[in-house]
Amino acid sequence: MNSERPNLDAPARKLAVGEEIPQLVKHPTTRQLVQYAGAQGDFYEIHYDQDYARSVALPGVILHGLLKAGFLGQLVTDWLGDRGTLRSFEVSYRGIDQPGRPYTCRGRITKIDGDVVELEVWGEDPEGKKTTVGSAVVQVK
Amino acid sequence: MVDRIRAKIGLPGPPVTATVEAGHLKRFCEAIGDPNPRWLEEAPPTFLVALAPTSYHLPEAEEYGKGWLNGGNRFEYLEPVRVGDRITSTGRVAEVYEKSGGSGTLLFIIFETEYKNQHGRTVARLRGTAIRR
Repeated sequence: MNSERPNLDAPARKLAVGEEIPQLVKHPTTRQLVQYAGAQGDFYEIHYDQDYARSVALPGVILHGLLKAGFLGQLVTDWLGDRGTLRSFEVSYRGIDQPGRPYTCRGRITKIDGDVVELEVWGEDPEGKKTTVGSAVVQVK
Repeated sequence: MVDRIRAKIGLPGPPVTATVEAGHLKRFCEAIGDPNPRWLEEAPPTFLVALAPTSYHLPEAEEYGKGWLNGGNRFEYLEPVRVGDRITSTGRVAEVYEKSGGSGTLLFIIFETEYKNQHGRTVARLRGTAIRR
């Protein structure tokens, strides 16, 4: 629930390929998974019922992929602010994440073509394993 | 069973219409932990998944493996979605295939959802990969 956010009032700077955008660290809890299940309307038991999760060979309840996508969406929109518009956003879930472990969202500019900027984004577990990878395309003003 | 799902490729599922409500938007952003005041009026990048199911029910898919996993999501944004907008989403099965993984064979079902607003304009598209394991 707690997150460390960048300063949204920071002045716009010139963008450069290879530049990493400010990280966003999330501290998901089981409570947050229940909250997210309700808000999205996804009541699949693997996100809040420990016994059910273990019965389908998971180590316990796991984060919703789309919650992690929400975190990464926040990473991008926090960075972008009102400097532009998000055109597309893609995430692939490569590994599971469990509540109680910090989840670090990161991103880097990979391409600048006129006013279109592409980023790679990813979410890391505490061991630095990229459990979610993706990309975003933004159009800057 | 895989062939029965394949037979549904391209067929639209039942459309779902929902209004973007301020309270729902607030609860969604609280659940993500995104306090950006912009989202009091406008939908953040993943909010559309909360308006309608991202896949339609395929009972035959549940005969395969033990459970579902979400493999990935791709959003394309054409117009902002704001509080009060009435959004109709229509999903369809785009692809079905099996793949061998470390723990056996997996079934991949790609769902595509199109979201239109009350003016009939497409505001976003979503492509999601559902996996049976």
